[in-house]
Amino acid sequence: MATRLSINEIRYIIDGVEQDFRTDGRAAEDYRHVELESRVLPNTNGSARCKLGKTEVLVGIKAEVVDVDVHAPHIGKLVITADCSAVASPKFVGKGSEALENDLTNILSFIYHSTETLPLKELCILPGKSCWQLNVDVLFVQCGGNLFDVASIALKAALHNTTLPKVRVSGEGIEMEMEVADDPYHVWKLDVSNWPICITLYQIGCSFAVDPSEEEVACSEGYVHVGVLPSGDVSSMEKSGAGNIDPTVLLEMVEVGVRVGEDIHNQLDKQLEAEKSLAKL
Amino acid sequence: KAVVSTQSTGVLVSVFGPHECANRTARNHERAIISCSYNFASFGAAVRKKKMTADKKTTEVGVMIQNTFEAAVMLEKFPKSQIDIYVQVLQGDGGERCVAINATTLALINAGIPLKDYVCACAATVFQDSVLLDINNLEESYRGPLFMLAVMPQTESIVQLQLDHRLHNDHLDKVVRETIQGCRDIKVLLDRQVKEWTVEAAAAYEIKPRV
Repeated sequence: MATRLSINEIRYIIDGVEQDFRTDGRAAEDYRHVELESRVLPNTNGSARCKLGKTEVLVGIKAEVVDVDVHAPHIGKLVITADCSAVASPKFVGKGSEALENDLTNILSFIYHSTETLPLKELCILPGKSCWQLNVDVLFVQCGGNLFDVASIALKAALHNTTLPKVRVSGEGIEMEMEVADDPYHVWKLDVSNWPICITLYQIGCSFAVDPSEEEVACSEGYVHVGVLPSGDVSSMEKSGAGNIDPTVLLEMVEVGVRVGEDIHNQLDKQLEAEKSLAKL
Repeated sequence: KAVVSTQSTGVLVSVFGPHECANRTARNHERAIISCSYNFASFGAAVRKKKMTADKKTTEVGVMIQNTFEAAVMLEKFPKSQIDIYVQVLQGDGGERCVAINATTLALINAGIPLKDYVCACAATVFQDSVLLDINNLEESYRGPLFMLAVMPQTESIVQLQLDHRLHNDHLDKVVRETIQGCRDIKVLLDRQVKEWTVEAAAAYEIKPRV
């Protein structure tokens, strides 16, 4: 997403970030206003819509029963696919969005692939044979900077309201059979208390910031994705983009990322709990 | 931009333009050209569909929407330019093409592109001698006649007509009449939305429009 900025605008933005006072008045660690709506797609097992500034994302989760992976026979699967809709920009028509989509898919899959941190054991039905596969489809309806963070927040919210049909396992040994419940109210929910979210910190000038707008992204050189767990632990980290990052700055970035991540987890959990009291299921 | 959803089918439409033609060979010296892209989200259908680019069916719907609006938009006002219409189906539960056309009408109006008239679309089927309007996925799967009509309500001229499966000649007149009535009803809803927008937009300038 190349936004055309003049040299003076770039200088203004970089100076702002370095002095902890950005063009819209935010500090380097401040996020924009987040709007979150759950269960927006009735065709899915779980869904959420998240709007952050000018970026809007729809996440739909559909579950299916599949054969277990030979290398990991006791856990379920999570497949994340990112899609940039043409509705967001004419550049995304046809194959135009492929590069960005691949980038998004890879980073999101990376944040959510750690089998030690994610409670994928819950998704196993018959160890060694069948498990649930959660197909997560992330659809970007509007792109305005900070795509990864919005996607991960929406993902966590969508997982929170994902309902999976109960499976009755009978028999023993090789003759184990499973029966998936037909009743739409015979469901169980995932435990999302240990799922990470992605905090991306962008290096702008000599300093860094979270949740940049599109113009700020255009002025940035390199960014770091940090997968933060609610406990404050870091589950994954990746540096992307063109530009080199100083090691001491990197440590600071991670520290800020963890702080911001914990805060977002707290706020998000509070809102999701409040939502639970509204819904009957 | 416009998001239109019926109870279970949701479509998001974005309109860009009129702007300079991206493809110089395609540009027309007398009128604007319309480029349309129709996409179905992976989580849209009841059974998850993996993303397919340029599926034959989706291209066909894209061309259908393009043709529909070439008849309705005042293209002569914008020679040598291009208007882009991008349709994203968020949830599909039957009648996606109709919801797409209704949403596109609203999006074009929102974009300020002059139209000759609203384009309202409605789908219908015939079941045991009675006409059912606005059918959902389950009703579509019954494989009865699937009749889709896009109409410009003021002149009642038909912009688009599609019929799948078999329809008995005796039912044709009834189906056309009832579907046109359905389209007229949709026009009332679209009109209401446009008036709401106008009042909102005018409020920003402290004008009270007469609606």
